[in-house]
Amino acid sequence: MPSFLPAVVEQLFRDIQTTYQETAQIHNDLLIALKFVFGSCALQALDLVDQRSVTCLSSPSGRKAFQVLGGSGCVYTCFLSCHYCPCPAFTYTVLRRNDGLLCKHILAVYLSQAMAVTQQESVSDQQMSALLSSTAAP
Amino acid sequence: MADILTLVFRTFKSQTGLKKEPALSPPPPSPCSALVLGDHSISRSVLLLAAVTAASEMGVRVVFFTQTQIQSLPLSLQRCVPSLSPESLKKIKFSYPRTAEELLQQVAGLHESTNMSPTPPSLIIVDRLEGFLLSPGGSLHSCGQSCAAHVSALLCDTAAFLTQVLEQRAQSSGPCRIIASFLSDVDTGQASRDPCATDPILDVVERYFQVRCTLDQERGYEAVAAAAQEAWHIYLSGRGLTETSVTKDCKDKPGTVQEWQLFIFPDGLMEFKLV
Repeated sequence: MPSFLPAVVEQLFRDIQTTYQETAQIHNDLLIALKFVFGSCALQALDLVDQRSVTCLSSPSGRKAFQVLGGSGCVYTCFLSCHYCPCPAFTYTVLRRNDGLLCKHILAVYLSQAMAVTQQESVSDQQMSALLSSTAAP
Repeated sequence: MADILTLVFRTFKSQTGLKKEPALSPPPPSPCSALVLGDHSISRSVLLLAAVTAASEMGVRVVFFTQTQIQSLPLSLQRCVPSLSPESLKKIKFSYPRTAEELLQQVAGLHESTNMSPTPPSLIIVDRLEGFLLSPGGSLHSCGQSCAAHVSALLCDTAAFLTQVLEQRAQSSGPCRIIASFLSDVDTGQASRDPCATDPILDVVERYFQVRCTLDQERGYEAVAAAAQEAWHIYLSGRGLTETSVTKDCKDKPGTVQEWQLFIFPDGLMEFKLV
């Protein structure tokens, strides 16, 4: 699948990954860049990462998906290869207004992956199917 | 995905146009998704041609999601596919989900072992995607943009996963592609008479599909000139078209990189011609 992100954002995540691997922190210039690209979403996503809210679910078939525990206690299932989050902000800001690249939950997934702090959890194939297709309001 | 559509068009190409066109090598496989926009019956025929061509010519497994029972195959297939056999048709699995929820459940379950043997599907087809996004008796937008995004994203994510599995198994049947058809209520004239009106659901769906295949009926005399019943223009466009599949820049249609014509004859035969 082709990337859904602009090249500048991909580079930003790569820089965060490299810096975090070497120094276990994100430098101020990268934080400023994150804030510049994602606005207030950046701080909220970093907060989710700090709380280790991102979990990568895997099933025996090899299928994977991410779950993000939101600040309000809701759990959002996000996909691995393309951007989708069932949260209201994604629907309103990204889909309807076309006013942002991502919601804070998807950004938290990217940052958790870059910083290698994603929690891991195994589920059955049937549980994975149910999570991927769930339309219940979170 | 345009590779299979292009293969369909070439397979059912007008024989009279053969001498005029340069020899074309088969398009390279591309792991992307295509959205066929326009008339129901024509788009369904194109989807069926794609399913059977993929199963018979490429030998890959196909999953075909539709709300309407398939009563018969297009005449073009019955007459023009020499390799069409019951064995080929067995590679196509028709599924009939009734709602967006059932479609989501069936697509989400494609990774389960029962759907992965003997090989995972290499082509996922959704006939009339808008029909799933329409609640009974409701408007096209009753499902909402989030639901449209969920269905589209799940299709893409599933194709990405199946592509990975096909590559790991070192099979030549990869990558996994998606083709869906969609008829916007803007096109049917139900939403607005404004020619510039856009469909918010289609806007969302198009975020996830890389190739747009637009069907546009020819209103001039080309059908009569070709002794056909109907003539259609087919415009392939979008970011998913590879350099090698680009044959022509259409100056009068910005963003269009390939154009075909489809002639439907009184006996039901369909012929494609590269413009």
